[in-house]
Formats: sequence, C-alpha cells, structure tokens
Amino acid sequence: MIHFISKRLRHSLVLLFMASLVCFTLVVSAPGNVAVLIAELRGAVATPGYVEKVAEEIGLHKPLLMRYAGWLGDAVRGDFGISYRTGQEVSADLPKRMLVTGTLIVGSAVVATLLGLALGFLGAFWPYRLPDRVSRGLALLGASTPTFFVGALMIYGFSVTFQLFPSFGFGGPESWVLPWVTVAVLPAAVLSRVVRVGLEEAMASPFVLTAKSKGLGRTAILFRDALPNIIPVFINALGTQVGLMTATAIIVEPLFAWQGVGDYFLQGVKFRDFMVVQACLLIFLAFFIVVNLIVDLAVLMTDPRVRRQWS
Amino acid sequence: MHDEPLLNVSNLTVDLLTAKAAVRPVDGVSYTVRQGECLAIVGESGSGKTVMNFAPLGLMPTGVTTNLSGSVRFDGRELIGLPESEIRKVRGKSIGFIFQDPMSALNPVRRVGRQIAEMAELHLKMTPRAAEERALELIKLVGISDPAARLRQFPHELSGGLRQRIVIAIALAGEPKLLIADEPTTALDVTVQAQILRLLKDLQRRLNMAMVLITHDMGVVAGAADNIVVMYAARAAERGPVDKVLVTPRHPYTRGLINAIPRREDPIGSEFRGLPGIPPTLGAPFKGCAFAPRCELAIPACTASRPPLARSADSAVVVACAVVNQRKAAA
Amino acid sequence: MNRLKPAFARLNKLPRVALIVIGLFLALGSFAPWLAPQDPSAQNLLETGLGPTAAHWLGTDHLGRDTLSRLIIAANTSLVSVGSVLIIAMTVGVAMGTIAGYHRGWVDDLLMRIVDVGLSIPSLITALAVIGIVGPGYWTMVLALSLAWWPMSGRISRAVAVSIMSKPHIEALRVLGASPWRIYFGHLLPGTIGAVMVYATADAGTAALAVATLSFLGLGIQPPTPEWGQMLVDALPYLESDPRQVILPGLALTAAVIGFNILGESIALNRIPKPLSRRTLALRRIEVAGWAKENSDA
Repeated sequence: MIHFISKRLRHSLVLLFMASLVCFTLVVSAPGNVAVLIAELRGAVATPGYVEKVAEEIGLHKPLLMRYAGWLGDAVRGDFGISYRTGQEVSADLPKRMLVTGTLIVGSAVVATLLGLALGFLGAFWPYRLPDRVSRGLALLGASTPTFFVGALMIYGFSVTFQLFPSFGFGGPESWVLPWVTVAVLPAAVLSRVVRVGLEEAMASPFVLTAKSKGLGRTAILFRDALPNIIPVFINALGTQVGLMTATAIIVEPLFAWQGVGDYFLQGVKFRDFMVVQACLLIFLAFFIVVNLIVDLAVLMTDPRVRRQWS
Repeated sequence: MHDEPLLNVSNLTVDLLTAKAAVRPVDGVSYTVRQGECLAIVGESGSGKTVMNFAPLGLMPTGVTTNLSGSVRFDGRELIGLPESEIRKVRGKSIGFIFQDPMSALNPVRRVGRQIAEMAELHLKMTPRAAEERALELIKLVGISDPAARLRQFPHELSGGLRQRIVIAIALAGEPKLLIADEPTTALDVTVQAQILRLLKDLQRRLNMAMVLITHDMGVVAGAADNIVVMYAARAAERGPVDKVLVTPRHPYTRGLINAIPRREDPIGSEFRGLPGIPPTLGAPFKGCAFAPRCELAIPACTASRPPLARSADSAVVVACAVVNQRKAAA
Repeated sequence: MNRLKPAFARLNKLPRVALIVIGLFLALGSFAPWLAPQDPSAQNLLETGLGPTAAHWLGTDHLGRDTLSRLIIAANTSLVSVGSVLIIAMTVGVAMGTIAGYHRGWVDDLLMRIVDVGLSIPSLITALAVIGIVGPGYWTMVLALSLAWWPMSGRISRAVAVSIMSKPHIEALRVLGASPWRIYFGHLLPGTIGAVMVYATADAGTAALAVATLSFLGLGIQPPTPEWGQMLVDALPYLESDPRQVILPGLALTAAVIGFNILGESIALNRIPKPLSRRTLALRRIEVAGWAKENSDA
C-alpha cells in the first residue's frame, strides 16, 4: 500500500517534469522572432535597437537549458514571468482565477455526478423500458449538444425569459448555478452511460446469479452487489470528465463573464501572450496529473482486487 | 408432509428462447427427491441437467426467455406458474444453491462475511450483529479454520476450496430443506474435490436435507447419491437407485458411461474406452431416440418414435430404450 | 457488384436516423453552393432580424443576411474543415500506428508514449495551445485540430496493425522472403486503413464540434464565412431580441453531431444480450409450439 502510493507519487513527479518540458518547448519553438512580436504587442515600433533591448530583457540570448532552469525555478515558486502584452506579473491574479475555475469545476463535478448517477440508475432499474429509453435519449442529447449552445440556451431560458439566475459574473451561489449546469451536461451524459452499461454488465455476471439464489430482490442486488462493482469504473470516468472540464471552462467562463484560468488562457491565446499561455497550460497539465493521482488512489481504496495487487 | 416427496418433478419441459434461436434443453423429465435423500443427475455438458434445476426457480441469465411446462412441486407447492416474487421467497430460504465455479460465484468487492450474513438478515430476520454471529457459526460449520479472520476477507484472497466452502455456507444460511449443487467439485483441484464432497455429504446427513447433486462424474455419484437420473440430450435415459443403476446399467448410454471409467485391472497403456461419436447440440427435440446415432444396439424402430421410460426387470429402475425394454418383454 | 453486397448489408444494420442525418449533412455540405437559395453574405440592412417570410424561410440575421442560406453554406464549411482534419489526422495516425505495429520494440514504446500523452490532454486545450503559439487562421485551426486528433487513430491503427502482423499469413510471407515493403504496403497498410476509417467516421461528430467550438471562441473560421459556431456567437449579443439566430445554428450542429454519435454507438460492441423484442419472442414461441405438436403425435 505505502509502496504503491510512493511509487505513484514518483510517477506523478516525472509526469509533472515532462509537462513543464512540453510547456517550455512549446513557447521556445514559436515561429518568428518573439522579441519583434513582443515589441509590436507593446505598441512600439519594432526598430532593431528596441527589439534587441526586448530580447535582452526576456533573456533570449541565454542558453536554452539555463532559460529552462530559470523558468522552472520561478514557476515552482509561483512566478510565471511577465505578460508580454500587459507588462504585468502573469501570476498577479492567478490565485483568484484558480479559485473561480476551481469553483466551476468542483460544482460541475458534483452536479454531473448526481445527474449521471440518477439517469444511469433510472435506466438500470427498468432496462429497455420507457425510463431507460428516456435516460438514453437524454444522454445522447447531452453528449451531442455543443457546450456553448447549452450555455446560450441556459442564459436564454433561465436568465432572459424567466430571470431566475443572473447570466454573468462570479457573484453569490445563484450566479454559479447556470455555469455549473452548463459544464455538467456533457459529463453527466457520459457518466450516465457509464453507470447504465456498468450496472448492466455487473448484473450479467455470475455472482448476481448467486445473489438471486439467495432470494434477494432486483433492487437489493442492484445496490448491494452491482453498485460496489462499478464504483472504481465510475471514479475513473469521473476523473476523465473532470480533466475535460478544464477545456469546457475555456468555453463557459467567457460566456458567463467569469474571470477564471480558462478565460485567462483564452485571452492569452487570442493575443498570443506566450507567458500567459504557458502558465495556464502548466496549471492545466498539473491539474490533470493531480486528478489522475487522486483517481488512482480512490480506485485503490474502492477496489479490493487492485489493493491486493499492490499490498 | 403426508407421503409426498419434498421435490416432485413430473414431465418437466423447458424451452429457452433467445435472440438467436429457440432450444429445448429439458424435454419431459420426471424425478422425485425425499427429505434426507440425495439424487444425482448425471449427464454430459449440454444435456440440460443444470437448466432443469435452475429454470423452474427463475435462475436464468438475462436475455433468455424461459417457457416451462409440466409440474414442479416443492414442499407441497406447485412452483410452475408462480410469480417471480413468490419464487424468490423459496430461493435461499427453502432451497440453497451451490455453483460450479466458486471463483465467479462470489461478489469480488464485498467481504465474504457480509455475503453470508445478508442471508441470515433476509431469511431469519436477524439484526446485522446477530447475522454476523450466525455467519461465524456457519463458517465453522463448513470447516474453515481461523473463521473470524476469514469473514473479513475478500473472495480473491481465498483459495478455490475455501471459496466453495463459503458458497456452501451461504447456501446453508437460510436453513434450507433442499440443497441444489451444480457440479460443486468440477472447478476445484482433485485433492480438494474429495474434501468438498465429503463435507456436502456430511452436512446433508447432519441437517437432514434433501440434495440434488448435478455432476458428470460417476465417481462422485457412487460416493454420495441414493438415486440417480442419467440425462442424455434433454431427456432422462435411465432412473433408479444408485447401487442398481451403477452395478447393472441397462440403457446403452449408461453402460457406455460406466464402461468409460478407467478400472484398476486395466493394463497400463490400454486404450481409453470412450463413447463413439459426439453428443448432439441442443435445438429442436429429436424424433425418436436421441442416442440412436451413437448406439450399438440401435434398430430402425429407434429413430421412428421416442422410447418411453418403462419399468425394467427390476421394478425400481426405469429405462428409456426400446431395444432393452423389448428384450425384457420377450424374456 | 458482389463486392458491394456486404457493405450494403452492413449499412442496412445501422440505425436509420443516423444514416438520414449523416446523408443530409454530406449532401448539404457537398452541394451547398447550388442548394443555398440566396447569397449567404448579401447584406440588407433594411431587413434585419426578420422572422420567417416567403423570401427568407428562416428569417434574417442582424445584418439582414438570409439565415437558411447561411446555415446551408455553414454545413459546407464544417464538412470541408472536418474532412481535412480527419484526413490529416488519419494519415499521420495510420503512419505512426503501422510503423509502431510493424517495428514494435523501442519505436513502438516511444510512439505509444507520445500517443498516451496526446490522449490525456483534452483536444481543445492542445488545439488552443497550438493556435496561441502559431497565431489564428484557417489552416492553423486545421493543423491544430489534426495534432489533437491523430493520437486516437494512431492508437487504433497500432492495435489493428499488431493483430494483422501476428496473423499466420504474414508470418508465412516473411518466411517466403517477401520484402518488408511488400508486407507493409501490400498487407499491413490496406488492412489498417479500412478499420481506422470506420472509427474516424464515427468520430466526425466530435471533430465538427471542435471546429464549431474554435469558431465560437473566435479562433477558427472567421467571418464572413458562415459556420455554425461562429453564426451562434455572432448572434449572441442579440439573444434577447432575436433568439432564433442563436438557436437555429445550434440545432443544426446538434443534429449533425447526434447523427454521428448514434453511428458511433451502434459500431461499439455490446457484449450483453438484450431481452428479446416482442417480434422475435413471438417467432420463437411459434417455433416452440410446432415442437410440442410433433411430440404428442409421436
């Protein structure tokens, strides 16, 4: 157990290191003279002298390895350099932005889990009957509707027509509802299928015959025998979906005027502000790695078979 | 219970309807089991012996529709035609089941103690704590050492023999009157097979249960059963007391089966005496005797109509073979 | 003609809804310039935000452009972009996958590690990172999405290639001294491409979604070229007064994606037997009823 956790932690550290390499090379390999670009972004005329000054300023002449080491050292301390566009610290309001995105992802994960479980169980209770078909149809619709369209519909339905929830800003809990639901629709659809198919598979396994032979009813078998068997699978799928939510945040945050990491990343991409892109990308990659670590540990806790392999 | 046997199956026919085909794995089979008796049902795989016992109790895999006809009376009650909710009350409570593969019969992510205890909660209306106590008793009863520690373990942490003992403990937890054991020793190591069989036999006697032992192993039959039904291609070929059927088999199929058992006096390296041919695949019922294509006694009449089960010279044994029964009549 | 038969038989088994939707999408996308009733970029500031009229069946947008024509042309935009992305991604993926499957060893390890990394990062983030570095534009979008898409076909084609390479007839060819080129181009590549095509088709819905999403974010297809995601974001400021212009492109895109998703779902294997449909059940019952009679006669 301890052995597994320490091994898994080391693995995560290696991945983090690789992620930092990816982020660094991506920016270094950008086409064109970065110094010229920055000079132009700052609104100055790119005279050779000014470009040279910029190049000196951002350390373009140092060897790559030195630049990487310097950048990584700063990044670990939470310093992501200076924005090429605004000239301000990239990390200035990062903590606040991470809080916003964190609120979005955590809330959406909870909504997606609840919706996914409810829809999945609805289908598993009455397989191939009306509730199952409804659940299946909703899942197909949820998995096929573009997130930005969901968001637009949410705003139109609940904010414009009925004025139940505000359509923009990161205020109190009522302003969280629409973004949460918008982000949760796609993962909920996917998770409901995971639950439905997982339960059906579990219900077809031999130990269910044993459970039937005990005289247990269908409901009892679903909850006592089938459910514990799909929990590890569900956690895995939830982890994947939570990872994907970073991508959804990029779409949804601007839509609801939330100033989160996703919004920051998009701004960085739009204005080719490499330092911002780099910082956000590193945050995203680190997030995936941490989520994967948590998922693996959670599976370890819930599946005695995996536990056995590592103990 | 008057004079009625605990389990009385008569003229049971089972049709299984699946998306691909319709098959009749059980075709007009009858047998009885009395309290404290052990009946062995012997046949090759695919002869319908498992379906015959599981289908009337609603234990069929998903995706299969079961059609039953005939009669299955258990403890004075007709099971065929009962709704699932009623049959469910019989399962576990009055009839315990033991499965072929203990590796897959237990839920891999639940502790074995819970899997036993939930039976006591369900059928004996015990509190969870009392049920745990009961589980501990049961696990001692099936001869597992260090019982308290075993209860907290997961199935994959136990050996095959131990797992089968757990399955037996589950089957016994509801204090059933009848135990249905489907090839209980097939998936186990040879050394463990004998132990499990002895345990089953011993428990059956001590708890005065009836037992149906489904097997393809004649050795198992000889040691454990009182009566025997030999199945071939969905039908009963021969039925009677074990000592009579095994000593003087009458049906050519039974004879072939018994003949195939290696004997001590066989010289080393002598050829294995198997049955010629292969068993038929299940499908529509046969016209005539299903064994005729592989039978050395077959006459043209065999393929014309299905041979009825008839009393043989010894009135305790019934045989479904036109040739054998004709000879007896002639004698 | 005989060779087409199995293809038709397979086509017949697919859900009809999916075929209709995908067929419509392909037809509209291919023949859009001829099908669109009006010039999609012709503005008419006197007729902005109209409801359905005889001249404009689905109304007009805030610049007075005909919505129906724009929706149809958008199908073409979408189809062309998705097609390019999938073709590039598949070419790269199949090349990498077959090389990995042919060589095995360290080449395989290296390529599959790259594929793993690619698959673990959401495609939108990969694509945006590339666009952020290279700068926006149509071909940047196509390349960025291809970069995000190839690992999937890479993994599938590697799996297919490995299974082909382990077949006895390949072993026999090797023993007989066939050149590696012949094995690779004559046997491995054709077999792999066929299998990957099927998955790629099912994945087209997600690719269409990605194109629309990038356009929605302003980093994909640029106005005035109509594209569903871009039409939607274009109309978003007028959501309150004219929601139709937001909803219509959204619906068109959703419908296309649903079609491909149903197709993908029907391709995925389902190992668990379903309960019988009422029709097969009746058929089986009749079959069994025939047996019973046969028996009682005997």
